[in-house]
Amino acid sequence: MPVYAVSQITRYLKDSLEADSLLNDLWMRGEVSNLTRSAAGHYYFTLKDATSQVRCVMFRPGYGGEHLAEGAAVIAHGRISIYEVRGDLQLIADLAQPEGVGELHLELERLKMKLEAEGLFQVSRKRPLPDFPKRIGVATSPTGAVWHDIQNILRRRYPLVELAFAPTPVQGDTAAAGIVDAFDAFNAEDDLDLVILARGGGSLEDLWPFNEEPVARAIYASRAPVISAVGHETDYTIADMVADCRAPTPSAAAELAAPDMDELLERIHYHQRGIYQWISGDLSDRSRDLDQTYRQLERHAPDVPSWRQRIDDLSQGNARALDSYLNLRGERLSALESRMASLNPAGVLARGYAVVQRQDSREPVTSVEQVSPGDDLDITVAGGGFPARVTSP
Amino acid sequence: MSNEEPKNEEITFEEAYTSLEETVRALEEGGLSLAEATRLFEEGTRLARICNELLSAAELRITRLQTAYGEQMRLLTGEREQDAED
Repeated sequence: MPVYAVSQITRYLKDSLEADSLLNDLWMRGEVSNLTRSAAGHYYFTLKDATSQVRCVMFRPGYGGEHLAEGAAVIAHGRISIYEVRGDLQLIADLAQPEGVGELHLELERLKMKLEAEGLFQVSRKRPLPDFPKRIGVATSPTGAVWHDIQNILRRRYPLVELAFAPTPVQGDTAAAGIVDAFDAFNAEDDLDLVILARGGGSLEDLWPFNEEPVARAIYASRAPVISAVGHETDYTIADMVADCRAPTPSAAAELAAPDMDELLERIHYHQRGIYQWISGDLSDRSRDLDQTYRQLERHAPDVPSWRQRIDDLSQGNARALDSYLNLRGERLSALESRMASLNPAGVLARGYAVVQRQDSREPVTSVEQVSPGDDLDITVAGGGFPARVTSP
Repeated sequence: MSNEEPKNEEITFEEAYTSLEETVRALEEGGLSLAEATRLFEEGTRLARICNELLSAAELRITRLQTAYGEQMRLLTGEREQDAED
């Protein structure tokens, strides 16, 4: 007969409970009592009904902890275990919802919690949409209005794009598998820039495939960024939360997917006008600069006419200077001439004077002592000469 | 310019549009020689023309990817689905 230590038994119980598939993943309904919240943010409470009670703990960050209140009727999800230190049996809850919500809703909340914990909704993971997609995958029903709306909007807005259509049922039991299949087909294409997953409005049940885990994981694993547009603006599915971008309606998804051609044409036209205005402005600036520079050049250019004038002036001055020089010389010459004329002996003779020379020596007689009576002389007067003899002293 | 003008088919709208915006930006930044400015002007004009041509000539293309459901639909509904397409 084996005897066990207490801790061996608590360990055994813990292992047994945790190996039980029902106890491992269960929903339990009851009324909250003895609710406390630790400083660390964990909830401790008891769930009870008319006859029984179970200790519960919800560790931070619990999901739906706000529904826990004294006396509140809730449904908690979690697993049953043993707190070995005290030997207490307890529900380790990860999710609480108010009692009265439907089963689908509970399932939805549980899946949201799980995927959120795995990081599928993380904003940091969301990829930007391409500005100019070339090829867009569209997964939706081939028979509904949604597919036609998407085609029409993109044909009008941005017909440059190619749509790669992956038809899938979007409600009912086969929808989740069909959507996963569509994403497999998208991932097999290597040139999709974007994927649109869309369906029109419907009840929570109708939209249910978009809350299923395989669909969420297919969106998460998509190679191309995903726009999800499921139901109306107020419907919010898990697909919307995982997708890179959530559009309120399928038409809005088509509008988010591509730029608008009219706007683009407007912008191209604006650029066209802009560059034309720019080049005209640039050319006229350059031409004005050139004019200005040319005028500056002109201002600093040698003044040819004035130089010519100066040369003229100088040469005229030169001539004048020569003239006056020549005049001066001429005047001096005539003065000399008249002086010369006054010295001409012919002139003297003409005034009645005579030149007397000794005949023998031809010396001019300028004094009485040079002659004696009987000397022969030659007398020269104006117009000729004649001999003479001295008669007396 | 000695560069051969690339053919329109070789350039995508996105490339042409992005280049157009870059060209406009380069012109607006200024500090270009006359030859560069003229070349950019010509390039911008050419790109704008290509963008316009690509947009006005475009027609939405639709291809259908192979999915199990698509195959099923084709077998089940045959012609009717074709009618619903256009």
